[in-house]
Parts: sequence; C-alpha cells; structure tokens
Amino acid sequence: MPIPINIPVKGPAAPTKKGEFRRTPDDAPEDLKAKMLELEAKGEWIVQRVPEPYVEVQTKYGKPKKIPLQHTWHHKSCGQCGHIPGYSTSIFWLHRKLGLEYNDPRDQTSCTAWNYYASATSNSAAQAGVAMRNFAAAYETGYFPQIHCATSYGHYKEVRSELIHHKELRDQVREILKKMGKPLVIPEEIVHYSEWVYAVRHEIAKRQVLDLSQITVTVHPACHYYKLVSEDAIYDPDVYGGQRTAIVTGVVEALGAKVADYSTWFDCCGFGFRHILVQRDFTRSFAVQRKIEVMRDEANPDVTLTHDTGCVTTLDKSQFAAQAHKGVTAAIPVLSEAQFAALAMGAHPYRVCQLHWHSADYHPLLEKMGIDWRERWREFEDDLERLKKDPGAVMTWDDADAAPTQAFGAGTRPHPAHLAHGGR
Amino acid sequence: MPSESILIIGGGPAGLEAARGVADLGYKAILVEKRGQLGGTPISANYAALTHGMRDASEVMAEIVAAVSGNPLVDIRLNATVTGSSGAAGDFRVTLQENEGPAPVEAGAIIVATGFDHFDPGRATQQYGYYEYDDVLTLQDAEAMLKEKKFVKPSNGQVPERVCFIQCVGSRDRQIGNEYCSKVCCGIASKQAIEIRQLLPQCKVFIFYIDMRMYGYWENEIYWPAQEKYKVQYIRGVISEIVRKGDRLMIRGEDTTMNRPMEVAMDIVILSVGMEPSKGTKEIARILGLAQNKYGFIDPAHGSLDTVSTSVEGVFVAGAAAGPKDLDDTMGMAGAAAMKAAGLVRKKASVAAGRS
Amino acid sequence: MATGTGTGASSAGLARATSGGRVERGAEPPFEEKLRLFNEVKADLRFSDYLYGCYECGICVAVCPSARFYDFSPRRIAQAVAREDVELVYEQMNGEVWECSQCFSCLVCPRKNNPGGIITIMREVAVKNGLHSAKEALEGYSRIIYKIMSTGTQVSPDMIRPDAFPDWGPTAKETADNLEVWRRAMPPDTMHTTSSSWEVDDKTLTELYLIWHLTGVLDMIKTLDESLHMILVDVMEEKLEEAGYPLSG
Repeated sequence: MPIPINIPVKGPAAPTKKGEFRRTPDDAPEDLKAKMLELEAKGEWIVQRVPEPYVEVQTKYGKPKKIPLQHTWHHKSCGQCGHIPGYSTSIFWLHRKLGLEYNDPRDQTSCTAWNYYASATSNSAAQAGVAMRNFAAAYETGYFPQIHCATSYGHYKEVRSELIHHKELRDQVREILKKMGKPLVIPEEIVHYSEWVYAVRHEIAKRQVLDLSQITVTVHPACHYYKLVSEDAIYDPDVYGGQRTAIVTGVVEALGAKVADYSTWFDCCGFGFRHILVQRDFTRSFAVQRKIEVMRDEANPDVTLTHDTGCVTTLDKSQFAAQAHKGVTAAIPVLSEAQFAALAMGAHPYRVCQLHWHSADYHPLLEKMGIDWRERWREFEDDLERLKKDPGAVMTWDDADAAPTQAFGAGTRPHPAHLAHGGR
Repeated sequence: MPSESILIIGGGPAGLEAARGVADLGYKAILVEKRGQLGGTPISANYAALTHGMRDASEVMAEIVAAVSGNPLVDIRLNATVTGSSGAAGDFRVTLQENEGPAPVEAGAIIVATGFDHFDPGRATQQYGYYEYDDVLTLQDAEAMLKEKKFVKPSNGQVPERVCFIQCVGSRDRQIGNEYCSKVCCGIASKQAIEIRQLLPQCKVFIFYIDMRMYGYWENEIYWPAQEKYKVQYIRGVISEIVRKGDRLMIRGEDTTMNRPMEVAMDIVILSVGMEPSKGTKEIARILGLAQNKYGFIDPAHGSLDTVSTSVEGVFVAGAAAGPKDLDDTMGMAGAAAMKAAGLVRKKASVAAGRS
Repeated sequence: MATGTGTGASSAGLARATSGGRVERGAEPPFEEKLRLFNEVKADLRFSDYLYGCYECGICVAVCPSARFYDFSPRRIAQAVAREDVELVYEQMNGEVWECSQCFSCLVCPRKNNPGGIITIMREVAVKNGLHSAKEALEGYSRIIYKIMSTGTQVSPDMIRPDAFPDWGPTAKETADNLEVWRRAMPPDTMHTTSSSWEVDDKTLTELYLIWHLTGVLDMIKTLDESLHMILVDVMEEKLEEAGYPLSG
C-alpha cells in the first residue's frame, strides 16, 4: 500500500517557462515499417496499403502515420458489441454522418486477446493466426482494417512485432492461412478507431449542434493503446506539449469542452482481463480508488471519456458497489469519446448511444449538455413497444435518425410512469 | 612542411589543461573556443561547487584560465569554430570560422576537447514532466540556483520543504539507446544534496537511485558525509512518474528494499541527467573523420591502454568528448593528450629535419 | 487419476504434472520437474525479446496496478527468471503470475524487459502442464473459454445477468429482463444477437477452429478442463469435417 502523506495542497502551479520540446525521429526505436516493407520485397507477405483519402497524424517521435478516412473494414470489439453496444453504434454513426463508407463484416472473429490475457489458454501462434486471418479477411474485401478495441489494437501491434522478428512464426502462420486459401497480409498501419476520430475531429466539430463549453471532461487513455509498442501512438505538439498521448484529449478540445487533469492520469483502470470476470474486487477497488475518486476529488468532471472497451466497462460498472457501500451520491458517467462526439452532433442518446446499457448515472450529464433525455427515452420506449409487437423487426439506421417528435428541450410533460422509474 | 603548433578544439577544462600542458612542453597551442568566453560547461552551465572537493567552480576555472591567458605560447581564438580540415599528422591544415571570416590554421597535431551536452529530459522514458512543471529541474538548473545561493521553487518562489533527486535520467536505458552509465551524476547529486542541506537545514532531501556509483574516494568524501552528517535519505528505487497534486509534485516509485510501492509529495524534483556527445563533438568527429562509438562519442583507439589517441593519427581526444568522464579523468586525459601531441609533433619535425 | 479436492490455494504449489499432463495433488515435485518447466518458459520464441537483464530498479512495480493490491511484484518475477532461480520461478508460476492484470504498464522498463510478457509465457506453461494454480485461477472461467471457442466472440449480451454480475447494479437486471428487444433496438445489422456479440459467419467460425486445432490450443484446454475440451472438440470436429479440413495435421 502507498505510504500516505497528509500535506495541505493549495492552488495549481504556474505555467512552465522552459520552452518547447520535440522528440525527433532520430530518437525512435527500430523502424518496423521499413522492416515490414523489406519482408514484402522478399515475398514473405503482402503489405496492404492505406487507401486514399487518408490523413497523416504525428506519432510519438514525430513520424507520420496514415489514417484512412473511408473504405474501412470494421474490426469490432466483443466487449463493445456485447455489453456497450452504443459504443460500436456511435462509431458507425459518425462514419455515416460524415459520409465515409465502411464495411461491417460478419467474416470477423474476436481478436481473442481478452481470453489470452486472462487465461493464457492460447499461444503466440494461435494469436498471430487469429490476427492474420482477420487481416486476410479484410484484404479479401479490399477494405482497410479499423480496430475498435484498444486491446485488440495493442495486441495486434505486438503480433506484428513478433511476426517481423521471428521467421518461424511467419512460416507457421502462412501455412495455416494457406489451408484456408488465405494469403499472409499485414496492413501498412494498424489503425485504432480513436485515431480515426482524432483525424476527423475538426469535421465532427463543424457538425456539432451542442455547446460543450461548460462540460468538464477527464480523459483516461488506455494502457494498451499507448504503452504497447509505445512509438506507434498519436502525439501532438499542441496537446500536453507532445509529452503525453494526444488521443481523446485532442478530440475533446476540438469539441470545445474543458479537459481537467488529475494525478492518476497514467494509471491503468484496473480491468485485469481475468479479474473483471472472476475476481472483481481487485478491478472495482482499483477503478474506484485510483481513478474515479481521484478524478472526483481533483477535477470534479461532468464525464470521463476513454477509448477502450475494457476501460469503459471497468470505470462504468465499478461505481455502483462503491456507491452502495460508501453512500456516495454522485457517480461520474463514463462514455467513449465516440459516443460523446455523436451526442455533440445530435445523435439520439438511446437509439444511437445506447446509454441505457451504462451503469453510472449519465442523466445529469445529458441535462447539462442540453439533451432532453426524458423525451428521448419516451421515443425509445415507443420504439421498444413497436419492436415487441413485431417479433423479428429491428431498428434501422433511418429509425435511429428519425426526427424527434418534439423539438430538443421543448417543454413537454413527461409521462408520469416514466418518471416513476427515473425516466429509464 | 610540418607544423610545430598544436590545435586544441574546445576551451573547457580539458582544452585549457591541454593548452597549459602543451605550453609547458614548449610548443605553441592554438586554443579554439566557439563561445565568447573560456571555461566550458562549468562556466556556461553555471556550476556551483565541483565534484569532488567542493571547490567553487568559477574560482577553479578562473585559475585554470589564468594559466593560459597571457601565456605567450597560447593563441586563444574565441567565437571560433572549426569548419574544415585536410592534411595528415604533422601537417594538418584546418579552417576556422571566426567573427572576421574564415581563417586558415596549420597544426602538427590536434586535440579534440569539445565535451558533452546534458541529456534533454524531455526524451526520458519515464513521465517526468520537465516541460510541464516548473519545479522539475535538471542537475544544471539546480547548479545555477546553488551558485546564486538561492534555492527556491521556481513556480512560486517559496523555500522547499522536500527535495528529491532521480538518478540515471537518460543513462542506463535501452529504450533511449544510452545504455552506458554517465559516471558522475551520483557524485554530483550527492554533492548538490549536501549543498541544499547546508543552505536549507529544514529541508528534507532524498535521492532515488538504482545503484550508487561512488568510486574510490567519492564513497568516503561524499556519500558517507551526505548520509551521516547531512542526513540525505537514499532510497533504492527509481521514480516512474511525476504528476502535479495541487501546488506540489507527486512522485511514484517502489521502495525496493522495503518491497512496497510508494507515492510521496515533493516540492522540487531534480533529474540527474546524463551525458551525451555535444553537437560540437559530433561535428568535429565528422570533419576530422574520427571513429565514434554507437553513442556518438569519439572512440579512443586503444581502450584503457591509451585513452587519448583516436582512429586518426595525430588527432587526440581529452575529456567528455570521448564519453562520460569526471574531472579527474578529464585533467588526466588533457595532460596525456598534450604529452602525446607534443611527442608526435617533435617526431615529425625531426623526421622532416633529417630529410632536409 | 482423479484430481483431489482443493482445501485452499497455496502458492507453494502442491502440484505435480505427470507425463500425461494431468495434475495430482501431493508432495512437491522433484527439482528436475521444476527445471523442465523453467526450461519450457525459456524455450518460448518470445523469451529473448522479453527478458534481458534486470537491475532491480523497481520502475515496473511503481506503475503496476496489481502491485498495489496484491503481494505481487513484476520485479521479483523478472529477477527470479533472470537469476534462473528455478525454485522461486516454480512458486511464482503456481500463484503470483495470476495476479498480473496484463496492462503492460511495465513496458517502461529501461532494460526493455517485458515482465507482463514473461508472466504470459509462465501462465501458458502453467496451463499446458495442468498446474493446479492454473486450474484454480481459471475456476469459473470455463464459460468464457466456451463462449469464445464456440461463437468466435468472447463475451455475449446474454452473459449480463444479475447472478453473474451482482455488483454491477440494477443495469444488469434491467438488461437481462429486456435483452431480446433491446438487442433488436439498435441500428447495426450485425449486432441483433444475444448469444454472441455480433453475427459471425459459419465459415469464419470454422476457420477459427482450424487455427486452434493446428496451433495446439485445444490440447492446452484438455489439460485444463477435460469436460470443456470434450464439448469443444465435438462441436469443432464436426464443423471442420463438414468444411473438408483434414483433422490430422
């Protein structure tokens, strides 16, 4: 346990006067991209090129990374699609609203990294096999992979490293894929969806309909995004002076919300892979004590935003037990930046952002953002009634964007039955 | 036509001592210094007391400078850099760039004393926030304050209650690529710790380290007094991050001897940054075609047996241009370089005389 | 031979792996067995990427979330492996390694070690050899393995049940009660599923089985949980045969 020190803390420190610092590509560790292309030249594999149009973003040592805007193959996340479906839905919705076409495949398996990190009931060959099978499936459609989960992303970066450095692993995986009639293909860049959101953040801001200037956000960056293969992550000289990853923060700033810092920014959320499933006292204690309580005490945010399945799950689901135990009132709502950006662009909080799947109370946040959640919930309950009456019917993208029955925020008397159960 | 002059590039401790040595041996030294003043890093980086011995840096450097300025055998060229070179041992033709324009110089031997740069802590593997927080300093930032005998928090001018040093910043690190040890930072940090405790007896001082590198007499002259007389707290475990908590800094590490993670508030954190080859060292190595090791320092040709000869005959190196060096090393190398340079010049001259 | 009923976890590891890979509770295994397991860790192709030397600086512990809540130390594990302390490594493989949260914050190591990666390899060896600690750590986890192996996604909407996640609050119950209609009330057309996270093509699932079959993952599951293995093999072999993949090799 940490040694507690009780020292009174006063105000924030004055801004620094030390000037600018930039990392240079000379400081970067080995150039994996160059090695990847060398292997292609030797016929070891195919490197799937990033399609145009793409945006170039800066990574940790100043090297550019290409982020394709459209024609992307969406490598979905089981935790998102399974437990936080508004997360995946918002990612797709943002693409649709920006007019950027994509492929949502059925020919996709989970990356299986959650299982691997939790139980080790796998090995490097199987993990590489799963990754490369998914990449080959994307290649076959001609669309370029965009990865939804930060753990899938980090894991695939690891797999790429292992394949580049170990010929015997490449040979083994190539043989396995050959049996399925698939080539050994690696994408030129491994792209996380939050890198795409960062790349189009100004386009999102242009289409923003809500004023977020009064919303205070704390950002939680995912360990697996920036700590695995750390040189391949987005850094921006205008965000944290290029000293911390700019992911998510860059988007929040573009949307005009306030970013508040807190002293456990670099800490893991406590997901634990195995722990969150079978030993949740660890996950819960860690998430609440190291992240949520610190955020509340130091930053008092309206929402905390993150960009990974596990982090959203952990931070959102861990608060209930702590509240019940301690009698703490306010929770900090937890959203992905995709859901937050979608709300900013006027997305329906339930049809698109699927907030009813979230645990920590998000209603005060929606009110502060100027969203009439009672009305939106009434609409959604009507949707549910329609769906119940018609088994087999599903909500469509057109349904999700159907015009609201009442204008945003217009004073409608909510149905008393809705209020009785808190409007949910 | 062989020249009997010896060109010395760099006017810091190594270059100055080499120039004195060359002059004492009766040869002409041309001392080239890119700055407008002599004294090298101890002067330009405002060093307070020197490690070890605790003598005042400005005083010591003034003495060394006095030994060469006004010396008829030492031709001092300030605001001058070397831009090109040709020829070979005994007969080098070097071009200088001075204020008035380019100037040719002939020399029989060259001594490179272009020194080191301090590691930029923005490149550290760990999250030290040097560019985010005013109260995170480097060793040279602390030296400058100690020289003024005013050690306060840059953020608000208040006297600190708790100060700590973090060792090995930019050294012993495979991720950065500087796998070597910078040799002097343990001694310097301990020396500064003593100076802070002398200035501010109420201030607690901590040093977080991986190993305490206190060679030879540094152990009993610096380390033991720091602990015993000045109660500096040495804790084995390097810090992983510095974050702000209110108007204080929070540091995180593991107290490895106690086997537990720790999180402690500090007022000032001093990063013990290591040495890297200076821009001048890398530039000179390129111009003179000197072999460098993978870190960019000038590679001595024969390791421990000859610390001053380089891969090019007639070109010698002294001081931190060849790698992390303490002051003892530097002064020793400077003397050895002066001796070998003079020896070479004499041999070449006598060979030429024998022929004519 | 039947496995004994456990009376409680002991990190000293009262397990012996027989040549058949079955676990028996009993006396401490002989040194040769512990050495064999240690060498299996070293033989992994990633080992030389994950462990250089360790100068015991403690940065990995400083950033480790598990070190704050358990008596767990990535430094002690890296040190034990670096020192080739076979006894200590065996002890760690039988306990501590399961406390790692696999966040890889320990990649800040200045020697470029990967303690989390070393732990991953140690866990794999524990599973492959049916060490008791692996079985204990993964108790209650079989349903996840079954889910990923049989549907191609690791969790599914129908796993959110109040009995499974009582600490997640009333959302768990509300989700479970309304699951069927809530899953139809979302636009993405691959996500109208309850027993998997999205619709996975049959062909895709078969390809996944082939990967596990060919890389020995099914064998690992066999040592861990025989009955789970039987179920999986039945499902997979049928699909593989249908698709025309030869089951040998």
